[in-house]
Amino acid sequence: MKKLLLAATILASLTGQVLAADSIKVGVILGYTGPIESLTPDMAASAELAMKEISDSGIFLGGMEMESIRADSTCVDSAAATANAEKLITADGVAAIMGADCSGVTGAIANNVAVPNGVVMVSPSATSPGLSQLEDKGYFFRTAPSDARQGEVIADILMSRGIKDIAVTYTNNDYGKGLSDSFGSAFAAAGGSVSMVAAHEDGKADYSAEVGALAASGSKHLAVFGYIDQGGKGMIQASLDTGAFEVFMMADGMFGESLLEAFGTDLNGSIATVPGAETAGASTFSAMAEKAGITVGGPFTGESYDAAALIALSMQAAKSSDRAAVQSKMMDVANAPGELINPGELEKGLRILAAGGEIDYVGATGVEFNDLGEVLGSYKEMEVKAGKYETVMVR
Amino acid sequence: MTDTLNALVLFSNFVLVPGIAYGSQLALGALGVTMIYSILRFANFAHSDMMAFGTMVTVLVTWWLQSIGVSFGPLPTALLALPFAIAAAVVMSLLIDKSVYQFYRKKRSSPAIFVIASIGVMFLLNGIVRFIIGPNDQRFADGERFIIKARAFKKMTGLDEGLAIKTSQCITVVVAILIVVALFWFLQKTRTGKAMRAYSDNEDLALLSGINPERVVMVTWIITAALATIAGTLYGLDKSFKPFTYFQLLLPFFASAIVGGIGNPVGAIVGGFVIAFSEVMITYAYKKFFMYLLPESMAPDGMIQLLSTDYKFAVSFIILVIVLLVKPTGLMKGKVV
Amino acid sequence: MSNSVRATIAFSIMAALFATVGFGQSWSVALAIFNLCLISSIMALGVNIQWGYAGLFNVGTMGFAALGGMAAMLVSKSPVPEAWTAGGSNLFFAALVAVAVLISIVMIVRRMGKGPLRAIALTPIIIVGYFAFRYFFDQASNDIEAFNPAVSGYLGGLGLPILFSWIVGGLFAAGAAWLVGRIALGLRSDYLAIATLGISEIIIAIMKNEDWLTRGVKNVAGLPRPVPYEVNLQETEWFISMIESLRSGTLSSLSGDERTSMLRTLVMESSGIFVKLCYAGLFATVLIIILTLSVKALNSPWGRMMRAIRDNEIAAGAMGKNVTKRHLQVFVLGSAVVGIAGAMLTTLDGQLTPGTYNPLRYTFLIWVMVIVGGSGNNLGSVLGGFIIWFVWIEAEPVGVWLIDAATNWMDESSPLRLHLMESAQHMRLFTMGLVLLLVMRFNPGGILPEVIKRERK
Repeated sequence: MKKLLLAATILASLTGQVLAADSIKVGVILGYTGPIESLTPDMAASAELAMKEISDSGIFLGGMEMESIRADSTCVDSAAATANAEKLITADGVAAIMGADCSGVTGAIANNVAVPNGVVMVSPSATSPGLSQLEDKGYFFRTAPSDARQGEVIADILMSRGIKDIAVTYTNNDYGKGLSDSFGSAFAAAGGSVSMVAAHEDGKADYSAEVGALAASGSKHLAVFGYIDQGGKGMIQASLDTGAFEVFMMADGMFGESLLEAFGTDLNGSIATVPGAETAGASTFSAMAEKAGITVGGPFTGESYDAAALIALSMQAAKSSDRAAVQSKMMDVANAPGELINPGELEKGLRILAAGGEIDYVGATGVEFNDLGEVLGSYKEMEVKAGKYETVMVR
Repeated sequence: MTDTLNALVLFSNFVLVPGIAYGSQLALGALGVTMIYSILRFANFAHSDMMAFGTMVTVLVTWWLQSIGVSFGPLPTALLALPFAIAAAVVMSLLIDKSVYQFYRKKRSSPAIFVIASIGVMFLLNGIVRFIIGPNDQRFADGERFIIKARAFKKMTGLDEGLAIKTSQCITVVVAILIVVALFWFLQKTRTGKAMRAYSDNEDLALLSGINPERVVMVTWIITAALATIAGTLYGLDKSFKPFTYFQLLLPFFASAIVGGIGNPVGAIVGGFVIAFSEVMITYAYKKFFMYLLPESMAPDGMIQLLSTDYKFAVSFIILVIVLLVKPTGLMKGKVV
Repeated sequence: MSNSVRATIAFSIMAALFATVGFGQSWSVALAIFNLCLISSIMALGVNIQWGYAGLFNVGTMGFAALGGMAAMLVSKSPVPEAWTAGGSNLFFAALVAVAVLISIVMIVRRMGKGPLRAIALTPIIIVGYFAFRYFFDQASNDIEAFNPAVSGYLGGLGLPILFSWIVGGLFAAGAAWLVGRIALGLRSDYLAIATLGISEIIIAIMKNEDWLTRGVKNVAGLPRPVPYEVNLQETEWFISMIESLRSGTLSSLSGDERTSMLRTLVMESSGIFVKLCYAGLFATVLIIILTLSVKALNSPWGRMMRAIRDNEIAAGAMGKNVTKRHLQVFVLGSAVVGIAGAMLTTLDGQLTPGTYNPLRYTFLIWVMVIVGGSGNNLGSVLGGFIIWFVWIEAEPVGVWLIDAATNWMDESSPLRLHLMESAQHMRLFTMGLVLLLVMRFNPGGILPEVIKRERK
C-alpha cells in the first residue's frame, strides 16, 4: 500500500496534476430541496471549501484529492433520504458522509444505511436530543450541539430578560418536538411557565387557527421552533397579521436573512439563538467564507466546514480512506492532546499527522467531542434591532 | 362593558373574520364539486387541482402585469389577471372533458370509473402545475394588505384587543356574494340555467324535451372552471399559493358539499360555512374569551379547547361522518343516496 | 395473445429491466427496488380484492398501510415499564369511560325511538363523557410523554419478533376497515371513496400527534430486524469464507495485503446484497401465499358470487345474497392485505415515521398499479405493482436525461433549461396520470385482463 501511495505521489508530482482516479469521494447529503433549502447551499459550499483546502494542500494521503458528491436528503422524507444515501454508499462508493441536515432523516440514514454499512457520518446540523441515544456503534458524529443544550440556553435567555411566561409553537417533527420538550423542562426548572404549546404543520397555507389558540393563552411572547422557509415563517406572519404576538423567541432553524427581508423592522425586539461562538477560529472562518462567496454568519456553515475537515483529518491520521479506519481516528483528531488546528490551517494539520504527530482540531466552532461523538457547543444570543441581527452575547 | 367589548373583538378577530373568509372560499369550491355532481354525477377528485391550475395562471399573469407596471391601486393586481386565468382554466377543462370524460359518458360508465378517471386528471394537473411553477410557496398579493390593522384598531378604540381585517378577506366575501348571486340568477332565470336544472333533476326526461346534453355538460364545465379559478385565487390571495395545499382542500370541499346535501347549490354554501366555522370554533381556545366575560374568581384554569389544532382538518371529516350516519341526504335535501 | 403468454413476456421484460439496473447502477440499488416492488404488489393485491372482485372504491390505502406500520412498531419494540407506571392507571380509567359512554349511547339508540327526546338524552351523555374522558386521558398522556421524551416518552410495544407484526398489522387494518365499512358501505360508491380518504388522513393525524402511543413525529427508529445486520455479517466467519469461495476467481490473482483489502471490499459489498436477498425471500414468500389464496378465492363459489354482486347488485340481491354484508367482508379482507404490506414496509425501513405517509404515494399510486396491471386479475396486480413502482423510481433519472437531451441545443445557463431540469422530478406525477388515463381509455382491462372462466358441462 505504501509503495502504491509513493507511486501515486511521484506520478502526481510528475504530471503536475492529480488524476481523477486519485480522488477520495465524500458524500455531502443535505436537504437541497425541502424546508431548509435556503440554508443548505451555503452549508454544502462550506464543506466543499474545507475539501478544496485539503485537496489544494497536495499532501492529503500522499497527494490525493477530496471529491464532494452531493445528494439530496429532502430534510423530511426518510425514504428518499435513505435511498439517496444508499446510492452514495453502494454506487458512488463514498468513504464517509458529511450530513445529513435535519434530525429525522439523519436518524433514518444512520440506522438504515450508514451504521449497517460501517460508514462514518458527521452531521453539521442534526440537533435532536434523541440522536444521542442512537445505537451508532461509534459511527455517528455531529458538530452541532444537541437541542437538549439549546433548550437550556433559550430558557436562560428568557429568564435573564425577565420573561417568565411564554407560548410555544413548534414544527411538527422530531426537531421541533424535541426542542420544545427540552425547552419546556429547562424553563420549568428555572421557574418559568409555558402557557400553551401548539404544533404547526409545515406546508400549510393558513396558520390563523394555531395563532388564535396560542393567543388565547394570554402570553405576550411566542417561542417559534420551526423552519425559516416553512411553517415557522407562516406562524410569525399570522401572528403579526392578527396582532396576536409582536415579539418572538426564535430557535436556530429560524435564523436567516430571508426572515428579515420578509418582515423587516416588524421583528424588532425579537430574539434568536444560533449555534456558534466569537472565537478566533470563527472569525477566520468568516473571512474565508466571505472570500468564497458564502453568506457570513449563516447557520451551520462553520459546523459544515468542521465536519468535512474532521473527515479528511481522520483519513490522514489513519493513512487510509478505509471506512473503518476513518471511524477509528475521529476522536483522536478532534480532541486533545495535540497541536491546535484552526480553520485555514488544515494543511498544517495534515503535515503533522503525516509525520505521525497529534493534533487537536478546534475549527470554526471550537470542536470538542464527548464520549458520544457530539460537541457541547455554544450559542449566540441575537436580537433584531432596526431590522438587523445583532449579537448580544455568547452562551 | 369594556370587558364584553374586548371579548367580542377577540372573538371576531380570531373566529368570526377568518371563519367568514374561509367559509366563503369553501363555499365556492364546494359549489364547483356539487355542480359537477349534479350534472355529470360523479365526485370530481381533480377539482382542487383545477383550482391550483387556474390560480397558477393568475399568478403568472399577475407577475407579467406587475412587470409591465400595471397595478390596481389599493386592490391586488391578481383581480385584473383573473379573466385571463378563467379563460385558461375553461379551455383546460373543456380539453379534458373532450379527451377524457366524454368517452366514458358515451359508454355510460359507472360513477366509479369517472372518479378513477378524475384521479388520473388530478395527477396530470398536479404534475403540470408543479412542472410550470414548482412546488413552493408563491406570493402574488400586492396592494394594501390591511383595511384595519390590529395595532391601529387598539389605538382607535382604546381596547386591549385588536381587530385586523385583511383586504383579501374583504375581497373574498364580496366576490363570493357577487358570484353566488350571479350563479343563482343564471340557474333560475336563463334558458340554459333552466335546462341545466332540468337535466340534473331527470336526465331522461330532459333529453326527451329536447335539451342538448353536450351543451349542458359544456356549460357546466365552463362554470365550474370559473368557480375553481376564482375560489383558488381568493384562497391564494388570502393565504398563499402552494400547489400541495390545494390538494389538501379536497376533503373539506367534499365534506361541505355532502354535509349541505350533494347536488344542491344552496346546500354547498351552507355546508361550506358549517365546515369552516366548526373547524375554527372547535379548535379555538376560549380561555381569554371567558377571562373577559367571567368574574375573576371564576377564571378558567385550562385552555378550554375542545380539540387540539393538530386535528383541525379532521373536524370536517368528523362532521361528514356524523351527517352520513344521521342524515345521509345532508342538511338541505340533496340527491337521493 | 393469451394471458399466460402476455404474463411471461411482461415478467421477462421486468427481469431484463432489473438486470439493466443491476449492471448499470448497482445490484444493491436493483435489489432495493425489487423489494419495494414486492411490497407494492401485495398492496395492489389488497386493492384488487376490493375493486377487482367487488367493485368497492377504497382510496384510503395509505391509512391501512400506516396501521400496519404502527403494528410493526407496537409488536417489536420492548415495553417502557416506567411509562406504564406513570400513566397506565389513568389510561385504564380513560378507556373505561370511553367504553361506558359508547355502551350507553348504543343502549339509548337501540331502546329509544328516533326523535328529539333521543337527542336530548344523548347530548349530555356525550358532553359529560367527553370531558370525563379528556380528564383522565390528558393526565395519562402527559405523564407518559413526560418520561424521558428525548428517547422514550411512549408506552413502547410488546417486545415480540417483528415478523409476528405482519399478522397483527393485517388485524389492525381489518378492524379499522370494519368500522369504516359499517358507516360507509351501503351508501353511494363515491361516499365510500370520500370516507376512506378521510379516515386515512385521520389515522395519519393520530399517529403523528398521539405521542404516548407512537412517539408521533419523533419517530421510532431502530426496529429490530428479522434478518442479520450488515456490520455483524462482515465479521461473521461463515459469511467471509462463503464470499471467499464464491469470488475465488477475483481473489486468486491477488496475494498478501491486496488480497485482504480486496476481500474486505467484496465482503462489504456482498453483506448489503445478502441482507436485501434475505428480505426479498421473506417478502416473496408472503406474496406467493397471498397470491395463491387470492387466486383460489376468486375461482371458488365465493369468488363467483362476488363478481356476480359486482356486475349486478340488484340481481344478486334478488337471488338472496346479502350484498352489504358481502361487501363488508371483502372490504375487510382487502384492507387486511394492505395492512400486512404496510407492516412489511415498516419492517424494511426499520423505523416508523408517521410524517412521511402521503396519499399520492401510498394511495393513488397503488390504484394506478391495479388499473394498469389489470383489475380483477391477481397476477395482473402483481405485475402492475412491479411495473409502476419501477417506473415511479426510475422516472426521475430518465426524465432528467430526456429533458437534458431535449434542451441540449440551449445555452448551459439558459433559465428555461435550468427551470426544466429542476422540474424534471415533477414529471413523474404527470407520467402516472397519463399512464392511468391511457390504459383506462385504450386498454381498460389492463395488461393482464380479468379471465372469466365458463364451466363446460
